[in-house]
Amino acid sequence: MTVIDLPPEAPIVEPGVDLRSVSATVADRVLQPKAPRWWWIGFGLSLTLLMVLVVAVFWLFLNGIGVWGVGIPVAWGFAIAEYVWWIALASGGTIVSALFYLTRSPWRSATNRIAESMLLAAAACAGLMPILHLGRPGLFYWLFPYSTVMGVWPQVRSPLWWDFICLLCYILMSIMFYYTGLLPDVATVRDLAQHRRKQIFYGILALGWRGTARHWRNQQVVYYIMCAIMAPMVISVHSVVGLDFAGGLTPGWHSTQFPPYFFFGAVISGVALVIMLTIVVRHGYAFENVITGYHLNAMAKVMLVGSIMLGYSYLWEGWGSIYGSDIAERTMFMDRIFGFYAPAYWVKLVLNILVPQLLWLPVVRRSELLLFLISGGIIVGMWLERYIIVIQSLHRNYMPSYWGTFYPTLWDWATLAGSIGLFLTIFFLILRLLPIVSIAEVREIIAKGGSK
Amino acid sequence: MSEPRLFGLVGRFASADSLTDAARQLRSLGYREVEAYTPYPIDGLDEVLRPRRRTWLPLLMFIGAVFGAVWGYFIQAWDEVLNYPINVGGRPHNSWPAFVVGTFEFMVLCAIAAGFFGLLASCRLPRLYHPIFAADDFDRASVDRFFLCVGARDPSFDPRRIRRLFERHGAERVSEVVA
Repeated sequence: MTVIDLPPEAPIVEPGVDLRSVSATVADRVLQPKAPRWWWIGFGLSLTLLMVLVVAVFWLFLNGIGVWGVGIPVAWGFAIAEYVWWIALASGGTIVSALFYLTRSPWRSATNRIAESMLLAAAACAGLMPILHLGRPGLFYWLFPYSTVMGVWPQVRSPLWWDFICLLCYILMSIMFYYTGLLPDVATVRDLAQHRRKQIFYGILALGWRGTARHWRNQQVVYYIMCAIMAPMVISVHSVVGLDFAGGLTPGWHSTQFPPYFFFGAVISGVALVIMLTIVVRHGYAFENVITGYHLNAMAKVMLVGSIMLGYSYLWEGWGSIYGSDIAERTMFMDRIFGFYAPAYWVKLVLNILVPQLLWLPVVRRSELLLFLISGGIIVGMWLERYIIVIQSLHRNYMPSYWGTFYPTLWDWATLAGSIGLFLTIFFLILRLLPIVSIAEVREIIAKGGSK
Repeated sequence: MSEPRLFGLVGRFASADSLTDAARQLRSLGYREVEAYTPYPIDGLDEVLRPRRRTWLPLLMFIGAVFGAVWGYFIQAWDEVLNYPINVGGRPHNSWPAFVVGTFEFMVLCAIAAGFFGLLASCRLPRLYHPIFAADDFDRASVDRFFLCVGARDPSFDPRRIRRLFERHGAERVSEVVA
């Protein structure tokens, strides 16, 4: 991992990559009979962490959420913080994929599949968290708006219900969006497969895609409109997560800036995770000439913009509390910056705002090691941000008699580690089974001369 | 076993431009059963093969969106107004601003689903078998070669004439496909 030489007119795809080589390279990673050693190590670690989740969930279901550190007054703990964290990471995948398709930024083509695969894996973790948090997880289906014989309906005026609907629709839509883009690439894998079983497997997945003029035209039309829908959709998803908090009367939550504030967090943390996974895939699968320094440089700039937007929100979060007339709000904020949870606050400020300013320097944007570290720092910082918002706000509510402190238990940490395991397991499986670079779109870039 | 029937004549091209030129000339000679198979989308190729045929997919997605919005609003209003009315802070039962998010989500979900299933339907997928898959080297159609096929059903189908036309446009290989 060295500093990448990136002249201003650098191509998106390295010269020397042609239609056959890109197709064969990407398909080969899926078709190779033996996965590389790093894949087995990563997958093994992921499975181990997944086992931790299985144990933690089993213990939770056996004993109830009392095994966590939650109680009164801090009734929302890690599970909700991690729900917000995961859904933000997922949203970043859609932003890279859909938003930059609409802006006709060709650099997204080599990285959008990584972003979408990450999205699906992170959305699965996000969906799990609120269900674990329910005292009676088996009854989560009561949220579905269907005519039940119980005679009970969900209260659809609640942001919590909006959130459920958003997440449900988001996952379903992401799967359809993903598959629409994937179809031509699975067809390529099908055609390059040598073994009968793989030909049948990918043949069924490709649904008989033939790449006729009609197929392509319809696929392009639908994909374009899907992107135009997914981009505002993802903003709505994370804004509604913000409304979960803004709709509550707790100091530190009840603020109109929450929807955009949460969306800015989604931009920065999601892009950070895409960068980390891109660096891993780029070297692990030897895609250096398809995923170039151009892509990392572009995403680093997006991350920098996200950091500045988030800094703006942090500023108003503090200013609103200090300038406003609400004493509880001011007490809460003073506690946030000087109280028990203050270290987490300052660390998140450093990791999310201060350190990413290094990305102004071109040399940092071209160093994969620094990018990886900064991105990792942002992901940790964003987790701390959610931790502060959820837990610190609740622990300084209006009434001093209603103050209390939250201490995470072993099972809290186990659930966090386990959800990371679930994410990585899904991601590693996608990495092994499906093409991780959008082959058709890169072919199009090559055909147009690798231009920007 | 029935006699193998000729499906069409396939030409393999090395570049998108020569394929488009050949397709254009075939159309101008009056051939109608012409289909192109390419590894990536080529601008305007569908218009060359099927001029004045507009795709109905955007309209379908729009109808999906309207349906989703109506359905989403109906579910919420029926729940809160008719089936299970609860007085929340004196708000009207049909408190439409609170229903906007649900309506929006159902709207976009139905639009995307209409697009996805409409795409499959308009492409006649899933269809795991197609005669063209038996064409020589057809596995390269999804990698680096461009294929043009004139169907034997075409009323003016004339293999020798088509073969000459393909070769004039630089086809690397011309072969027959049986169904």
